[in-house]
Amino acid sequence: MLALSGLNISFGRILILPLFGADAFATMSAYAKIAHDYLAFPFMLGLVIMFLIWIKDNIPGKLDWQWLKQGGGIVSKGQHPPAKRFNAGQKGIFWIVVIGGVLMSLSGWFMLFPYLPANVTQLQFWTVIHAVIAMLFIAAMLAHIYIGSVGMEGAFDAMGTGEVDLNWAKEHHSLWVEETQAKGQAASGTAPSAVAAE
Amino acid sequence: MKVFIAAAAFAVIAAFAASIVLSGVQMASYTAFTTSGARVGDPGTNLVGPG
Repeated sequence: MLALSGLNISFGRILILPLFGADAFATMSAYAKIAHDYLAFPFMLGLVIMFLIWIKDNIPGKLDWQWLKQGGGIVSKGQHPPAKRFNAGQKGIFWIVVIGGVLMSLSGWFMLFPYLPANVTQLQFWTVIHAVIAMLFIAAMLAHIYIGSVGMEGAFDAMGTGEVDLNWAKEHHSLWVEETQAKGQAASGTAPSAVAAE
Repeated sequence: MKVFIAAAAFAVIAAFAASIVLSGVQMASYTAFTTSGARVGDPGTNLVGPG
């Protein structure tokens, strides 16, 4: 919702208004702006929660460089570089969301409360930050949505149910399976069974 | 799916809560900027969308 209403503020007049006509576009944009301003607060809350629950498993390490060098297994056939709970691509998305989200939140906060920046020049600066980071953030999210739905087998089900097939986990997150089995939290053995994904 | 819908519902409720808190804390600009020298009136329906 934030992305769509934000894009409407930037590009709606050129792209959407010719489709809807002036009156409908104006009413829609007025409500979209209000939605954009107030939905920002649950966005910021969600950002804090995501950071707290997932920071532990998202610290980059040497293993991630190995994963990246092998292209995550996408580039050449049959390769499955080992990974723990989150592979380097997932860690990349985590940090894009956290850093991008913080910049969006900060710049947005300054626009919501424009008496906070010291002067108009600063306000202009934060507006540009908000617009530029938004474009990059939206592009990253589109790529993430692609991989999480169509691009990666088993990904959509994993997101919906919170569980993955044990064999899938062994193929893509072998080190994580070893860790959880050692702790006794996952089923061992060769029969396909569900393992909590997150 | 249920979790997603619950999260979306929570976001809408949180947005409403934010709007209530902010309207309690903030003044409308025509109230804040009215002084003895300048009276700024309520724009009424002079804006597009909800007044």
